This record gives sequence, C-alpha cells and structure tokens, in this order.
Amino acid sequence: MAPLNPYTYIQCPCSDSASLGRPSDATSPTSADGDDEDNTFDPRAPRANFSLYPLEYLLYCEDCHQIRCPRCITEEIATYFCPSCLFEVPSSNLKSEGNRCTRSCFQCPICIGPLSVTSIETPPSDPTLLAPDHAATPHSTYSLICSYCNWSSTEIGIQFDKPNSIHAQLAKIRNGGASRLTAKERKERRKELSHRGGEAAVVAASEASGGQDMDLETQFANLKLFYNSQLADPNAEDNGLSSLGDLGFSSPSSLSRIMNLYTGGKLHDPRAKSKLGAMREAITAGEGLLEPNLDESSLISQLHQSDFLDTASSTQICSQPPNLGELHLHGAARFNSSLRPVPYLLRTKRSKRCPVCRHIISKPEAKVQTTRFRIRLVAGSYIPSISIRRLNLPGPNGPAAPAILGDLLEPLKPVHFLLTFKNPIFESLKVTLGAPAKTPGRFPSKVTVLCPQFDIDANTDVWDEALKDNDRESSNRSRRRAGTESQFQVEVGKIWERGRNWVSIVVEVVPASLKLEAGQDVLKEDEDVLEIPMFVRIEWEAENGGEDAASGPGRDKEQKEKRELAYWCVLGLGRIRQG
Amino acid sequence: MSSKRHSILPAVSAGPKPPVQFSSSITIADSALLTGTNLITISSESVIHPRAKLDSLAGRITIGRRCVVHERTMLGVLGTSGKVTEQAVTLGDYVTVEVAASIEAGNTIIGEGSTVGVGSKIGAGAVIGKHCTLTPHTEIPAGEIIPDFTVIYSNGMKRIDKRGVADLKNKGQARQIDVLKRMIPSTPAKFT
Repeated sequence: MAPLNPYTYIQCPCSDSASLGRPSDATSPTSADGDDEDNTFDPRAPRANFSLYPLEYLLYCEDCHQIRCPRCITEEIATYFCPSCLFEVPSSNLKSEGNRCTRSCFQCPICIGPLSVTSIETPPSDPTLLAPDHAATPHSTYSLICSYCNWSSTEIGIQFDKPNSIHAQLAKIRNGGASRLTAKERKERRKELSHRGGEAAVVAASEASGGQDMDLETQFANLKLFYNSQLADPNAEDNGLSSLGDLGFSSPSSLSRIMNLYTGGKLHDPRAKSKLGAMREAITAGEGLLEPNLDESSLISQLHQSDFLDTASSTQICSQPPNLGELHLHGAARFNSSLRPVPYLLRTKRSKRCPVCRHIISKPEAKVQTTRFRIRLVAGSYIPSISIRRLNLPGPNGPAAPAILGDLLEPLKPVHFLLTFKNPIFESLKVTLGAPAKTPGRFPSKVTVLCPQFDIDANTDVWDEALKDNDRESSNRSRRRAGTESQFQVEVGKIWERGRNWVSIVVEVVPASLKLEAGQDVLKEDEDVLEIPMFVRIEWEAENGGEDAASGPGRDKEQKEKRELAYWCVLGLGRIRQG
Repeated sequence: MSSKRHSILPAVSAGPKPPVQFSSSITIADSALLTGTNLITISSESVIHPRAKLDSLAGRITIGRRCVVHERTMLGVLGTSGKVTEQAVTLGDYVTVEVAASIEAGNTIIGEGSTVGVGSKIGAGAVIGKHCTLTPHTEIPAGEIIPDFTVIYSNGMKRIDKRGVADLKNKGQARQIDVLKRMIPSTPAKFT
C-alpha cells in the first residue's frame, strides 16, 4: 500500500454544502444523524473531491472576506505570448493569425523538442578543383533541426532561404519542396487577372488551376467564392431546376419576393426579378468541388511495407496544425516521414477576479519575462495553515518509539496527532474547531479534539519578539517548565505547545477496524485512509477600512471590527492497516 | 596518490596497474583511473578526462583515434553477467562517451563516430553501430545490436538519423580535441 503523508484540504464555500453533507451509501451510521443544522461534511462523497483544495491552491477576496478556489474564480486574459521566444502577441493578431506563434518557434513533430534553425553547409562541389579565395557560399540554405532526436526538416524535403520568419516560408512550401500559393498571393493573382481580362478570365484561371493543386486552402477559398456568388445571384444562366419553381429560401432575392407577396400591392418593386432562382452545389474543381479519391490501395500497400513505429501516433496527428498545402482529409499525415514541424501554441497570463464583487485577486505583471505579481491575495496569508505530525507518547511500558512518517495505523489502538496552526495575519486569532465524534464512511473512526478552542498570537516581527524576549524570558521558562512536566501527559482542554505565531494541539484518534462482514462489498480505493472532516472557525479583530474615516465625532481612532470566517477542512492522517 | 583529498565522494580504491599501450599524441589526465590486468590501448589524439575509470579486469580495452572519454565514466564494468572475454570494450574512432556513462565489459563494441549520452548504461556484449546517438540516460540491454545511424531517444524509442552530418561531426570533434589538449594537463608517463 502506498504510504500516506498527512495532508490538509480545505473546502471552498462555492460548492453547495447541503449536497455534500449527505453520505453516499445507506449503511454508514451518519445517515442516522439525519439533518443537523450544519450537515457534517463527508469527504468520501463523490462531489467532495472537486471542492477540496490544499491551502496553496486557494485565493482570498479581501472585500468579501471569503475563500475563493480555482473553480469559482473568474479569469481574464492579460497577455498572450509564445513560450519559446517570449514574444508578446497583441490580442488583435490572434483573430487574424491564429493562436500559434508566427515567428520561428517550432516543435519537433517526433519528440516535441524545440527546433533550431541551422545552416546546412553545402559540401564542396569537387575537391579536385581549386576553391576560390573567398570560399564562403553566397547562398546558404537553412533547415530546422531537433537537438534531441536529430530530426531535420530535410527529411520532409523542406529547406529555407532565410533564417528568420520561418512560419511564413513554411506556409509556402509543401512536403517535398514544392511551393504553393498562399491565400494572399491567390487574391492578388485574381485581382490582376480581373484587371486584365475581367470576370471570365478569373473563372477560367480558377478552373485551370483547380485540376492541378487543390489544397485545403484553395478548396475552401473556391467554395466560399462560389457560395457567395450563389447567394447574391442565383439566377445565373447555368441554373438547372429553376424553372420547376424550387424555392430557395436563403437567397435574398427570393426572400424579398416572398415578403412582397405578403405586403403586396404597390410596394412590389417592378424591377425585382420575377423568376425565382435555386442555389446549386459546386460542379467543377474551380468552384470548390473535391472529387473523393476512394482508392487507397497505394496507401495500404505502403502501410503493409512499413513498420508500426513508422506510422504517426494519434498524439502526433492531433498536434499537427491543419496542413493548408494538402488535400482536405486525404492529405492527412499517416507516417512519421510526412509530419511537419508544429508551431508553438501561445500561452496566456491571466488575472483572476472574485466572481461576487469583481475585486481583482491576482494580477501578474504585463511584461512576459517577469514572473512577479502586482496583486496577489492568496489564502495562505489570511487563514491559518495546519500541519500534522504523529505524536508518539510513551506508553505505560517505557519510552516512546520514534514515529515513522507514513506508518500504517493500527486498528482499534488510540493514536495521537499533533496539529500545528500557524497564524499568518498581524492580529491574534481565536480558533474554534469542531469535528464529528465518528468519521463518516463505512468504517467510522473515533475522533477527539482535545482542545477545541484556543488563541493564536499575531504574526509579529521576529525583531519585536526578540526585544520582548528579555521581558518574557522568565515567564517563558516557567511556561516551558510546566510544558515539560505535562509533555508526557495529554490533557483535555489544554494546548500542547505555543510559539510566536503558532499553537499546536493534540488530536486523539482510534482508527476503525477494516474487517468486512459477510455481504459487504470489497474495500474501495482509498477507503482505508483515515480522514477527519473538521469545521474551523476563526475570529479576529481587523481595523476598519478607510470608508468610515470621515464619520462623526464620538468615534475611536482605530475602530476595530470583529470578523470571522468559517470553513470545512479535511485532515488526512494516514492509512489503517488491513486485516 | 594525491596528497590531500578535496572530494566529498568516497575514495576510489586503486587496483592493479594495467599494461598500457599509448600513442604519443593522447591527452590523459592525471586523475584518470586505469586499473586491471589486461592491456589498455589508446590510439592517437584521444582525450581521457579526469576521473574516467578504465577497468580492464575482464578483458582488454581498446580506444580508437580522436575519442573523448568524459569524467566519471566507467569502461569495462563487470555487470551482473560478469562476462570475461579477451576484448572487454572497444571504442571506434571519433567516439564520445559523455559524463557518467558506463559501458559494461564483454565484447562491447561502440562504432565509429557514435555518441554515448550522459548517464547512459550499455550492457555487456552490446554492439552500437556507426554514427549513432544515444540520448542521455538511455539503457541498452546486454547483447543488443544497434544498427548504424540510429538515434535512441525517449524511453528506448529508435529512429534513423538522416541529417548526413557525419563528416561535420568528425571535424567538430577534432576541433574540440584541440581545445581539450590545451586545457587538460596530460601525464601519460604516470600510467606506463
């Protein structure tokens, strides 16, 4: 069984506590409790898992004076940046260029390591010929090389002329080195043609080129153009079924005609076309029709010959961005040898807000390189942290055995745990604890918190404490002496030890026996973990905010306001020995 | 033995002094550890870093030309199989054995131009081909035969290196050895 280190999880109040109080199975004895005013929090309920967080994950809203968890917080994106080049991308570029880095940052498609642009030295053409004095090649080519798995973009036949703006160069090259036209270039060509030869020339050109290279982008562009033309003017000459009176509802001309039928009379526009047009689908490649090539025998024979590890895995295929230079669907990469470099996905820096009062809880610096925060209100600086360790008290037969962390708990033998509460705020806290006498679940263990109410001193400076130390030394000594006497005796209602800003108390637990009766189900996963739900209520006096500063006379200088916060938390103590 | 130890690692016990056959142009550090009873041959221009351990108890060790053996490597380790053969470990020309790599004895052959990554473990009798790249912390089981130009990465994944940079790598290694020659004071006489 995996050893268990003691942990503390805190429940965020955003979850519906009423539904968490009811235990899941009917055999547990807590169901007999019925509905208390505060339903005992059951950490074994299926929903409880989603509302429990360690203290480090929780944030705190100062206006609401309430804990906030990652589930209930509202996030806003502050900046987008590329994780590889740390270049900040303005959010306006996101819509036009997508959520990937458009500079030279790429991931190896095989091993997801970063690719670096390296120049490929062309070997000397003929060693017997005399090399010129300036032997540097004027035209050097570059390629992307992975420094971990030694993959190179030359394996898919791609080389570059310039070492920068690789993304743009890559968009123009297909696997194997053939070039393709990007969307911009296509538009420009279309414009040129329409200037020279008019509409017919454009159509003729698109028909001609449609047969050759119908890649994803071209097909989409052609189809979009065709549909737009259909929507605008469905009554073109080459319509088929229009005479049969098919109604094309989406065409604006037909819509206006139908509306005119209802409004009728003089409003009818005499110039409106009376003949109704029907929309049709694309017929030629120039309009965007891609004839399916269902003969995959060449692909199948290639699969027969190649190794399983030569085919691209599903993660590799999913991480490939859509390849605009290949056919839609038929051109998807199946083999490792046709995988293209993957541009890095952009990451975000997010600022977090309280969902209730919209107060900013966490705000990182806008600059990408700094990891600091402008505002950071974490729960760890407002609520006390609880650390747990096992306390071995000497039994009636000799000194205590040393505690091993993660040791299994013996069933039906009382164990003691030391809980240390550390106060992070600059005021003294009053803590009240409440734990059910029996833990919820199929195997209830008995729990006794020996000191359920205590005070913790404020988190003052270490220097203040040192200065006061001289005054308090005598009182400390007497306190410690008293402590050593009672060190081996656990007393109800007394704390174990106290420090500058912390207090430790003892919790006595009698773990349940995990013996299964006849007819009971087998032990479920983690059902042998001893977990105590505990209700923590903290009260402190805080200085009032600056709102009431200008109130009338008769007020004290510092108006202290009593504040309290209450939450459920779960202490995981250890695993109980089975059998 | 050096007079005062500065290292916090435990002292390595010295074994018998092996017979050696060094080329005149090698660079071998003073604190390299050569132990064993069989012959250790190091060919021209190779570099042995400080605290590299060459153990020829289980057979001869032959290191090719222009090899670089880094610190804390162990060549000729007697693994669990404990094979004792005539030739324990053979390194081809231009081989690089990175820091903390260990190569077990028992006819283990590393081909020309290969790079054994940091912390790798090569089992007894394995044959690594030419110009292979073993990424850090790879483990080659005993007796495995790795073809030429293989890259072993991740958890034992293999692929063929098609960069075609073998010559460039060799040239780079030669330049690196030039620099190392000036940085490591060489004391071959200590071992002969």
